[in-house]
Amino acid sequence: MNNMIIQTHSLSKTYSSGKLETPALQGISMDVPAGSFSCIIGPSGHGKSTLMHLIGGLDRATFGDVIIDGVKIAGLNDSELSDLRASKLGFVFQFFNLLKNLTAAENIETAMMFSANAPKGAKAQRVRALELLAMVGLEEKADAKPSELSGGQQQRVSIARALANDPDILLMDEPTGNLDSQSEKEVLDQLFKIHKDGKTIVIVTHSSELAAQAEIVYEIKDGRLNDVIRKGGTNE
Amino acid sequence: MNMFTLVLRNISRRKGRFIFTLLGIVIGMAAFVALLSLGGGMRAEINDQARAMGANIIVTPADWCTFDQISIFTGESLPASLQEEVLDQVRELDGIFAVPYLTQMSAIQNVPVAVIGIDPEPMKEFSRWEIADGQYFESSEQHGAVLGAATAETFDLGVGDEVRFRGEVFPVIGVLESVGSIDDIAVYLPLPVAQVAFEQEGFISYIGVQVEHLDQTDAYVAAILDVANVAVNTNDQLLETVMGMLGSIEVTLQAIAGISLIAAAFGIINTMMTAIYERRREIGILRSIGSTRADIFKIFLLESGLYGLLGGILGSVVGVLISVFAAPTLLASFDQMMKGASPEASIEPMTFVFAIVFAIVIAVASGIYPAWKAAGLSPVEAISYE
Ligand SMILES: Nc1ncnc2c1ncn2[C@@H]1O[C@H](COP(=O)(O)OP(=O)(O)OP(=O)(O)O)[C@@H](O)[C@H]1O
Ligand SMILES: [Mg+2]
Repeated sequence: MNNMIIQTHSLSKTYSSGKLETPALQGISMDVPAGSFSCIIGPSGHGKSTLMHLIGGLDRATFGDVIIDGVKIAGLNDSELSDLRASKLGFVFQFFNLLKNLTAAENIETAMMFSANAPKGAKAQRVRALELLAMVGLEEKADAKPSELSGGQQQRVSIARALANDPDILLMDEPTGNLDSQSEKEVLDQLFKIHKDGKTIVIVTHSSELAAQAEIVYEIKDGRLNDVIRKGGTNE
Repeated sequence: MNMFTLVLRNISRRKGRFIFTLLGIVIGMAAFVALLSLGGGMRAEINDQARAMGANIIVTPADWCTFDQISIFTGESLPASLQEEVLDQVRELDGIFAVPYLTQMSAIQNVPVAVIGIDPEPMKEFSRWEIADGQYFESSEQHGAVLGAATAETFDLGVGDEVRFRGEVFPVIGVLESVGSIDDIAVYLPLPVAQVAFEQEGFISYIGVQVEHLDQTDAYVAAILDVANVAVNTNDQLLETVMGMLGSIEVTLQAIAGISLIAAAFGIINTMMTAIYERRREIGILRSIGSTRADIFKIFLLESGLYGLLGGILGSVVGVLISVFAAPTLLASFDQMMKGASPEASIEPMTFVFAIVFAIVIAVASGIYPAWKAAGLSPVEAISYE
């Protein structure tokens, strides 16, 4: 289907350290429509982060393939894959997303450094960084170091950074996992706004409230895709 | 944001460690540059001496070693083991102007001084001496001493004063104009007088020779060897020998400096390896926002290269300062040997450029392995690290 921006085919990942083999993912085939807001849920240690890493091209699959916007990422070399990350994908992780010796604005500008579709030149980058910070409500924190920001503020800066290159897809691994409910609400508000602007958002979450607001929920269990719940209630 | 700013931010986070790592390379470079410019200074000095000597060929006893030969340039005491007859044999050859030297060490006011027995008239012409004060020798039997300009000044001696060698008193009859060579730091006696005073009757130390046709030096050397059992060196050969020795001293010193540079290189490697460990997460973040392996490699290499650039510049400056301010002390003994002119550190701009480039090369080379390690880190591994 053409409007599927993320597709995986029999995606499998086995971690092997020495003789020990951990099958983290087994035969995941899923389609994520462009512009959707979806959640990945499942018990701890069942492969959610692994799936996100494979989708984002941060790790290579043992078997199967990921197709981003029609491009098979297994066939890409390091620099093509990096290009893809820089132009199409934005990441937000659970913890420590920011480079701690850079200010909030500089963190966002660093992401622009690696992308072809980001503004070039210090001035243009600063303007864009301030726009993005304003969007997450942190314009006045532009020159603050991560250590001077609260957890929620740090995650909002991370979201701003993930948007620096105007990517089509935002991948987030428990972005509110270590936030209190107030901060979580702040962050989620930003996400809904971004989603309205047309971005595809995939979030790994343990929060059933957040999952309840998603258009599609993928449930991972024992490394397999256990269930897909689409809004409207039709289970697959 | 660009890579350079990113690297600067990384460095400024760990100022202490940066400074200590930098110090390693600064010290190594400073030692290297100081030794290089001091060596250059000594080289220039010896060259001047050799030029000022005026002899094209030196005839020495057949059994002289390198050290004896060097002493010709430095004015040390020389063994007097050349038969005086050799002088006559050499003088009989065509196109040759030969003068004898009998170089002995003595002392004035307890300071060592070279006393040289010479053939007065030929020597004056050979060395292009002028009289600054008093008179020159009137005969080769005259019981008196002529002082080199520096000797007269150092010991505050002049015409009418006396000098005493081996218990014998010699009136100072004249003082030479300065010629800017070791000639200035000696005391001269007529050869026969010196031979008696130092109990070396019938012997001389060596013979200085000027030849008529410089392009035929080899032929003259062959002719001299034909008539006498001696060693013959051209001035250039001697110079080469001396420079060769100096060269090996320099190489030894530079090897020591080199070792400190290697230690500094390991300091950089160590710092960078630690940095990779500490920055695993950051490397993962950079990868996730689209940097390639090559970008990571460049960032780390740039950081270690910066150690080289800064260390090279600072080290060269410190090294030059050391050689400028410490040269007089460090070269004191050398200075004593060469009172004709005081040695100075010679600083060539090329030394500077070379040193900085060298430091960068060392630093970058040290950074390659850590940078390669950093670039090879899988993004996931880096991200998973907390
Ligand atoms: N780098 C790795 N090496 C070996 N095994 C790993 C590695 N990363 C994850 N695993 C294993 O793979 C399985 C899936 O891990 P993953 O991190 O994907 O789980 P998760 O669903 O994200 O859990 P959580 O909700 O706690 O974040 C786990 O059994 C884990 O131990
Ligand atoms: Mg996880």
